[in-house]
Amino acid sequence: MKKNYSLIFGVLIIVILSLIAVFAGLISPYDPSAIDHDNLLMPPSSQHLLGTDGLGRDLASRMIYGARISLSIGLIAVGIATIIGLILGSIAGYYGGFIDTLIMRFVDIMLCFPTFFLILAIVAILEPSIFNIMAIIGITSWMGVARLVRAEILTLKEREFIQASRAIGASNFRIITRHLIPNAIGPVLVSATLGIAGAILLESGLSFLGLGVQPPTPSWGNILIESKSTLGVAWWLTVFPGVSILITIMGFNLIGEGLKERIG
Amino acid sequence: MDKLLEIKNLKVSFYLDDKVFTAVNGVNLEIINDRVLVLAGESGSGKTITALSIAKILPANASIDSGEIKFEGRDLLKIDEKSLSKIRGKEIAYIFQEPTAYLNPVYTIGNQIAEAIILHQDKNRKDAAKETLKLLGRVRINDPERVFFDYPHQLSGGMNQRALIAMALACKPKLLIADEPTTSLDVTIEAEILKLLMDLKKELKFSLLFITHNLSIAKKIADKISIMYKGEIVEEGACESIFGSPRHFHTKELINAYQKIGKI
Repeated sequence: MKKNYSLIFGVLIIVILSLIAVFAGLISPYDPSAIDHDNLLMPPSSQHLLGTDGLGRDLASRMIYGARISLSIGLIAVGIATIIGLILGSIAGYYGGFIDTLIMRFVDIMLCFPTFFLILAIVAILEPSIFNIMAIIGITSWMGVARLVRAEILTLKEREFIQASRAIGASNFRIITRHLIPNAIGPVLVSATLGIAGAILLESGLSFLGLGVQPPTPSWGNILIESKSTLGVAWWLTVFPGVSILITIMGFNLIGEGLKERIG
Repeated sequence: MDKLLEIKNLKVSFYLDDKVFTAVNGVNLEIINDRVLVLAGESGSGKTITALSIAKILPANASIDSGEIKFEGRDLLKIDEKSLSKIRGKEIAYIFQEPTAYLNPVYTIGNQIAEAIILHQDKNRKDAAKETLKLLGRVRINDPERVFFDYPHQLSGGMNQRALIAMALACKPKLLIADEPTTSLDVTIEAEILKLLMDLKKELKFSLLFITHNLSIAKKIADKISIMYKGEIVEEGACESIFGSPRHFHTKELINAYQKIGKI
């Protein structure tokens, strides 16, 4: 088999990032919210590898803890979206008819809203806690998954082995959960990895507008926004969080592309 | 001479947009306990649709317009879906034409046979697995322990058909419906599978509805033959009368077809 470099490379990036996020407490050199008035806006040095911010906090430590927040928002938001999409998409595809029309028109309606502004509006009403942000990104981005799953189920349900499982007396619920969804999971996995990248970017965008994860909790997005006022004197505060968002998204996209080549 | 199944005046149509195609038009059939009824006819004569109507596992765009399907005195067309799914696989089981297509590609053989057992019998996974190994031996698979963990694509058509027979007989059904079970297999495997079916029939004492277009098979196994043509039963009788004095031209065609091949 041809070596799938994008998959290998993507997995490598994400594994390293995940390890950093999981062991944040062990590897971060400083407390991420410890303020040090003697070392404000210090450039990268041997003491502070990535420099310090306007309050003297160590940027490397903040970014390591930020990885935890950003990655978990990506994973959980996409998890929520995938579960909703799987349930609604498979019901629509399997039962067809009126139920299908109802669900798919609801999908169309949801798709009519510009997602980012919908999220902005909801966050403005609710409080922008980490949990709320995960949930809101999740419930506004399941429509693609639902369409994908429905299309897969539509072709799968005509396959002979589905008739065979009806012939041994399996219920509709069992046919959907045990026989249809496992066969449709490949393309869903591809879209989920690509979705994680999208969710991380969305959270960064929200944080940049001040409606994402709230300080002092560090996320890559809100480190970036805090750097805006000192952009002229402290380039490291903008470049490092920006580059790590870039690398993470590239990592997930590489996995997505690699998986698509392999199974999609 | 107890009647196990009695089909009266069955009419099944396909609905495509606003067009109606009647596939089965007023079929009457009787299956006697512990006997073999062969339903023969050309492709598209309605044999399979008649068979699928019995446990109501028809394709979504087909529907039963009228008739009665009495199984042990109960009209299967009048009972609800839930009680039907208790009959499917437990009382009435199916085997089909393309064995590999009728097995779910994402599960092992053992897993799928065990599912058939768990669906209708109060058994845990471990007991079901034991039972599955016994069944695999019973359908004369040489190394059940290996085949148990094989996926359908790793096995030949003949092996998969044996696995499907094991699955169908898992709950000792009273009626086995075999829809051209040997058509996609080569001649030596065909003979083995037929012998296996007839031996199992003696052992387990089920009735058999065997569908084929090949009258040479019918001659070997049938107690009674019904010839179907364009959705209707055009001739029926014991082997001797069908082969000795065929009345309908389609019966003569079918007999000629296999005799010609025999001469080549």
